[in-house]
Amino acid sequence: MSTEEPRIGVFVCHCGLNIAGVVECKKVADFAATLPDVAYSVDLLFACSDDGQEHIKEAIHEHNLNRVIVASCTPRTHEPVFRQCLEEAGLNPYLYDQVNLREHVSWVHMDEKEKATQKALELVAMSVERAKRLEPLERQIVDVIPKCAVIGAGVAGISAALDLADAGFETYLIEKRPTIGGQMALLDKVFPQNDCAICILGPIMSRVGRHPRITLLPYSELETVNGHVGNFRLTVRKKTRYIHPDICNGCTDCEQVCPVSTPNSYEFWLTDRKAVYRPFPQAVPSSYTIDKKGIPACRFSCPAHVNCQGFSTLIKEKRFSEALDIVRNAIPFAGVLGRVCTSPCEAKCERGAFDESLSIRNLHRFLADYEREHGATKVEKIKKDKKEKIAVVGAGPAGIACAYDLAKLGYPVTVFEAREESGGLLRWGIPEYRLPRDVLREEISRVEGLGVKILTGKPVKSIASLRNRGFKAVFLATGAPVSTKLGVEGEDAKGVFHALDFLNQVNSGESVDLGKKVAIIGGGNAAVDSARVAKRLGARTVTLIYRRSRVEMPAIPSEIEEAEKEGVNLMLLATPIGFIMSDGVLESIRCIKMRLGEPDASGRRRPIPIPESEFEVRVDNVIIAVGQMVSPTSILKGLEVTQWDTLSVDPITLQTSLKGVFAGGDVVSGPTTVVEAVAAGIEAAKSIDRYVRGVDLSEGRPEILRLVPSAEVDKTRAEIAERAVMPTINAKLRKSNFAEVETGLALKTAVAEAERCFNCALCSECNLCIEVCKPNAIDHSLVDEFVELDVGTIILATGFKPYDPSETREFGYGAFKNVITNAQLERLTNAAGPTHGKVKRPSDGMPPKSVAFVQCVGSRDRRVNQDYCCYTGCENSLKQATQIKEKYPNTEISIFAMDIRTHGLGYEGLYRRAREMGVIIIKGRPSEIEEIPGTRSLKVLAEDLYTGERLGTTYELVVLASALLPNDDTKDLARKLNISTGEYGYLMEAHPKLRPVDSFRDGVFLAGACLGPMDIPKAVAYGKAAAAGAQSLMAPGKFQVEPIYAEIDTTLCNDCDLCNDLCPYSAITGEGDERKVMYEICQGCGTCAAACPQMAIDMRHYRSEQLMPQIAAAARIHGGMKK
Amino acid sequence: MSGKRFEPSIVAFTCNWCSYGGADLAGISRIQYPPNSKVIRLMCSGRVDPLMTLEAFKNGADGVIISGCHIGDCHYSTGNYRTEVRFMALRSAMDVIGLNPERLRLLWASASEGQQWADTMREMAEQVRELGPSPLKGGSKK
Repeated sequence: MSTEEPRIGVFVCHCGLNIAGVVECKKVADFAATLPDVAYSVDLLFACSDDGQEHIKEAIHEHNLNRVIVASCTPRTHEPVFRQCLEEAGLNPYLYDQVNLREHVSWVHMDEKEKATQKALELVAMSVERAKRLEPLERQIVDVIPKCAVIGAGVAGISAALDLADAGFETYLIEKRPTIGGQMALLDKVFPQNDCAICILGPIMSRVGRHPRITLLPYSELETVNGHVGNFRLTVRKKTRYIHPDICNGCTDCEQVCPVSTPNSYEFWLTDRKAVYRPFPQAVPSSYTIDKKGIPACRFSCPAHVNCQGFSTLIKEKRFSEALDIVRNAIPFAGVLGRVCTSPCEAKCERGAFDESLSIRNLHRFLADYEREHGATKVEKIKKDKKEKIAVVGAGPAGIACAYDLAKLGYPVTVFEAREESGGLLRWGIPEYRLPRDVLREEISRVEGLGVKILTGKPVKSIASLRNRGFKAVFLATGAPVSTKLGVEGEDAKGVFHALDFLNQVNSGESVDLGKKVAIIGGGNAAVDSARVAKRLGARTVTLIYRRSRVEMPAIPSEIEEAEKEGVNLMLLATPIGFIMSDGVLESIRCIKMRLGEPDASGRRRPIPIPESEFEVRVDNVIIAVGQMVSPTSILKGLEVTQWDTLSVDPITLQTSLKGVFAGGDVVSGPTTVVEAVAAGIEAAKSIDRYVRGVDLSEGRPEILRLVPSAEVDKTRAEIAERAVMPTINAKLRKSNFAEVETGLALKTAVAEAERCFNCALCSECNLCIEVCKPNAIDHSLVDEFVELDVGTIILATGFKPYDPSETREFGYGAFKNVITNAQLERLTNAAGPTHGKVKRPSDGMPPKSVAFVQCVGSRDRRVNQDYCCYTGCENSLKQATQIKEKYPNTEISIFAMDIRTHGLGYEGLYRRAREMGVIIIKGRPSEIEEIPGTRSLKVLAEDLYTGERLGTTYELVVLASALLPNDDTKDLARKLNISTGEYGYLMEAHPKLRPVDSFRDGVFLAGACLGPMDIPKAVAYGKAAAAGAQSLMAPGKFQVEPIYAEIDTTLCNDCDLCNDLCPYSAITGEGDERKVMYEICQGCGTCAAACPQMAIDMRHYRSEQLMPQIAAAARIHGGMKK
Repeated sequence: MSGKRFEPSIVAFTCNWCSYGGADLAGISRIQYPPNSKVIRLMCSGRVDPLMTLEAFKNGADGVIISGCHIGDCHYSTGNYRTEVRFMALRSAMDVIGLNPERLRLLWASASEGQQWADTMREMAEQVRELGPSPLKGGSKK
């Protein structure tokens, strides 16, 4: 702080009548003169005028002032003006304080003049307390990197970039879409001259692409911004197109074969586009882009990650053999899993959250069935290019899947199966009516066809024996083939079966004698299978006893339904507590009733016995199906096991306690689903391959997949469609035989079902595009890149989005086909649009004979907090009306408007022209629009406000002039850059009049419709203005930064490091005596100063010793100024 | 009090970016509110040391408002998180020393929320008027 005695000058500004109309300025100045240390005070008409500033300068010299206070308007605009005034008078500019008498007093206390004056006195007194303690500060000079990043390549961003680059500054132009051009590129004609939009935009788009000082970063998004004015560091994500843009020649071949269609946002959803697309033919760059959002929920939730969306999409296209290839890329069991899978994919299917999930399992069964009917292609034996022999023990689903993948990798694989036929529980557990044996046999023989050797009837004694025979690695998949005991008295009675033994006997063709009354204990698939088999073996009454309720039953729901159709009774919430026998033969079951308590570890509600609720059920047989266990065979000896006797393996690599020995399936997990066993086989194959090649087993595993979040799946345009029903044979015909119950989907049904797929991930990775791309530009394995840009300035020109009224169904939009938005009409009149420039009604493709425009849809509308004018709607409707009239002069056109606003030059002429062409303008907003059944024309109900007449005219097409809204990511962008958004969500300028393209942050400029609705000339002007702002900042090469930053007194600091934890910029470095604030990084927020427990940190210009007296004055003086 | 209405003294701390701008916007929009509050402008609400709030009360303020950018919108990214933590701590401390915590208020106001600013100034003036003069105010016992 300076040592000389403070001599303060106080200048009270009238601001014409803005302040003086409420506050008695003379009184304020007189009062100031009475305050200690005030050497001079005066009231001025306009302090900021030349005269006013001259007066201040003279007073500084004349009265030897060393502090200045101006009591005028907000310092947010005029502080720099007066600081410069001080500098010109030879005073340090930071010996200045400003009192806000206008925004904070005269304009907000207009009706309380006396109190307003009183408040003004107090604010001045507060300022004097602060001013006398101010100290001179020197501004820091930073170097400015002479480069600019322009974010958003619409017409505003393009204009800014070209001006900057032409002026000699390196410019990066970052655009999140695959092409530059923004909204203007989608327009047909631009008012008021009605010249062709792309004809005037196209040349400057291509100039941007060719400019030597412009680096174009299309399909890129800003991730983070660090640094400060003059030296920003931007991290930009260059999203991958999965196509090399330099190799792609734009030939459209990929687009032709791509099977995925999605509503085209570039056509405002009038038509679809493919997952591989180019927004429009003039796109810059002209490369195609594959729109891939990640892994869809179905594929993500499938343990084997079968590409469900991929094969569904190809079914839609009737490309069945390619679709089947997709299934077989992941698993060998298209037909088997198409029948017995518990389909976790369907539980997560996005369609399920809309109407009903897609019938994914039945679709891949369809593919397998279709191939069986039409003849399969011969399996090509895979060349074994690897020498290392691999042994798989157990030919169940896990073993076969592992062998399948290893064979595809070129390994010689031998599968050892103890039983006389392969298939494991698929063969010996699951009944034939669910899984015909020939389907299973054929799919296993395909695996053999690849070159896998399967040796049946060959139990393996020990791992050592395999090693001795030269097997390099072993996969154990011996399953959990023993039924769990119930542990209830009488379980050994004659007539009591355990499910796996029972099913095994039946599936082996042995005869099983059952009585008339059979009870099944359990609620899983083995229980339901046993029940249905019992029925088929002739049991009269079959009762399934389950301890929880139906929703907790783990069996596949459709299986339970079919069982009931076949006459199986469910006895829920009951459990056996004993089997009663006479002479060792079962007579009845003693049961107890249960109720459900709190959920247990499995998430299902725990069953609790109800006391004294025992009852007896007379039965001839019981089949117990309450679980399966691993059987302790000799091969498992010496391997570590878990407390449940399953094998203990590394959860990621599936390696057992013995190196080179891997295990998976039920022998590890205990009884689970077939698909999980298959998935384990696949993972084990990956491990074995790594093991053999000597690669680290776990590096990069498990693979991280990006699930497409539900919110990213567009369901707004979906229509309800029922899920395909699987046809079954009549329940009466089933009882006595084991014929397959589900007969499979018909081709038509399957295709229709596949069409229900939402294409959640868009690109389904069917890889058809790769095959047709002649220059080999496509690579699905490409990943996003991150680039770092060092720039001195940033211009944001991120634009707007047109309001989509489908959210509110306003005026029937979204429900009535012939109600469209003006953005959609623009595409219809556009020669490059979906109708090649012919205006056609969406319902019948006919040119409309009458058209109504409805203005201000979503604009000037308080109900949706959009009570601002869209600025372009009136001109646009007038333009579109004249365009229709030019093409179809007999069309009747009415514009329903609250007002027609045609501001500025040229627009009134457009209005007159439309009127002269016969366009009728009706003052009044329609109250409602009704669709006429049959013609689908629209009755517009409105009141003509000039005549008071009620109108109910029918039009063939209605066009909504919809609002302009801030882009969805505006808020996010504002946060990344630490700039502000205004009431409606647009970016906010530093001053609405004087600094329209500056943000509050030095070095960050704003341009175009990200600031609010504007037309093209205005957007271009803003772009050029922002470029000029950036240039004037960069041209001197140096920038003075505010000297407001934190300082640490190391003699007080005790190194607690709290400041470092709190600093948003990591501006604090060092320890002990070395601890300091890096001023060029510190932004001056002061959070550290307020937090320091030692009070070792202070803020320059906002020091505690400057603020505390000001605060005390603010608190104290109120009402104490009288006399 | 001789029938004259009690006019509370309120000290309002604002950040420079959001809340000061909000207060300016109330002025530009000519939204009227009572003249009881006086603004201390800081760069960030995170600069408001609890001692500053106590200094205001110690010197007779009847109410204090701390105002900053909305959470997530802070010009300095995270400064206002700290503001919120301190605000909670201050209120409990006030409770302990027998100062009604309602005398301290936290306002998130953006530069576009002139109306919210004015509304809060009005509400606070009325609320503090109802609470009466601060017990810490010297000589206010009448």
